[in-house]
Amino acid sequence: MALHLNLLHEQIAEQRQRQRDPLKLGMMALGAIGAIMLLFYVLKAYQTLAVKSRLSGVQANWSKVEPKVTAAQKRSKELTGIIGTTKVLDTMIESRFYWGPLLQTLSRCVAPNAQLTSIEGTVSEDNKLVTLSIQGIAAGREPRAAAEELRQLLMEQLGQLYGSVKVEFRTLEDLDTIVNVAGSSMAIARYGLDVAFDPVKPEAAKAGASPASPAAPKK
Amino acid sequence: MKQTKITKDQIQKLALSAIGFVILLYVYFSFFLGPLNRSRAAAEKNIADLQGKLASSKSDMTRAVNLEKEATTATSRFAALKALSPEGAPIAWFPPRVKAFFANQQIDKVTTKLEGTAAYRQAEMAEWMKYSWGIDLPQTDFATFGKAVAELENTEPLLIVSKIGIRAGAEDAQFQQITLTANTAIMKR
Repeated sequence: MALHLNLLHEQIAEQRQRQRDPLKLGMMALGAIGAIMLLFYVLKAYQTLAVKSRLSGVQANWSKVEPKVTAAQKRSKELTGIIGTTKVLDTMIESRFYWGPLLQTLSRCVAPNAQLTSIEGTVSEDNKLVTLSIQGIAAGREPRAAAEELRQLLMEQLGQLYGSVKVEFRTLEDLDTIVNVAGSSMAIARYGLDVAFDPVKPEAAKAGASPASPAAPKK
Repeated sequence: MKQTKITKDQIQKLALSAIGFVILLYVYFSFFLGPLNRSRAAAEKNIADLQGKLASSKSDMTRAVNLEKEATTATSRFAALKALSPEGAPIAWFPPRVKAFFANQQIDKVTTKLEGTAAYRQAEMAEWMKYSWGIDLPQTDFATFGKAVAELENTEPLLIVSKIGIRAGAEDAQFQQITLTANTAIMKR
């Protein structure tokens, strides 16, 4: 076996040492990581640019649509308001109490011997109660009977139009005065009537009729 | 096998390199990648918002078109009711209107006074005011007045007569003194 002498042993060892230099290896690893990070950053930047370009496209679309949408929303709000207000106004109009038919009924009920001297009528705020205060003078052999006849007639006639009708005497007093009616002398009595009723007749309400139907506008 | 010996100088350099690496990582994530990610996330959020708005805008526009069709009757009715409130202060135009109305009904003596105003409770009526008027008819007969009231109720839908007072005339029993309290809904101008 031939003898093999390594005369460059020192130099080779130094070269190997240089190659395995941890600092150099570290710097190389750092460079590699840096390159990867740079590539990753470029990739992310590209993605961001793509997203931003998509955003500008969507923004352009939105800027085209936005005025129309704003106008549509404004109009919707306005229309909703109009519908709501019209509904409230219609309810007010439909639920109001018509005095014309009531006055007509009153004029039909009053006989020549039971004249009215005053009528005070009020409708409650919610249109659910009408009250009348009637004063008058009845004449006849039995003036009280004439007044009672008027009360009953009112009860009957108003009952045909309205609900929960109450007609009650507040006062009924004989007067000493004698009057001449159609050539005959008659005693007179002063009466006061309190009338109260619901403008909506229950049957009409049950049938789903309009609240104004019992007191429909007089023609 | 030979052991690699690391000198003190090399250790210092390695330590410095490690610190530099940490600083590099911090700078990279804080000043480069972080803002980039935030910017992308913000852009994506904006896109999602805008796409949501675009999607809802279609339904909004469809709703507005449908509402326009549905509200045709209400719109025309509202316009008609609105037209009952002319421009100007109601005290300036309402009493002459009442006077003209009763004059057409053969009732010449009419006095109309404003008794008060109030806002409506309903939110929908924010643009409307309730005016309360006192109307005096010192000389009329019951039948004429009855017809006039019926006509008034038919022609003035926004007028509600809340009180009526009828008294026999002191001088002439044929005539009555009548007072009315009427409420009207008038649009604010």
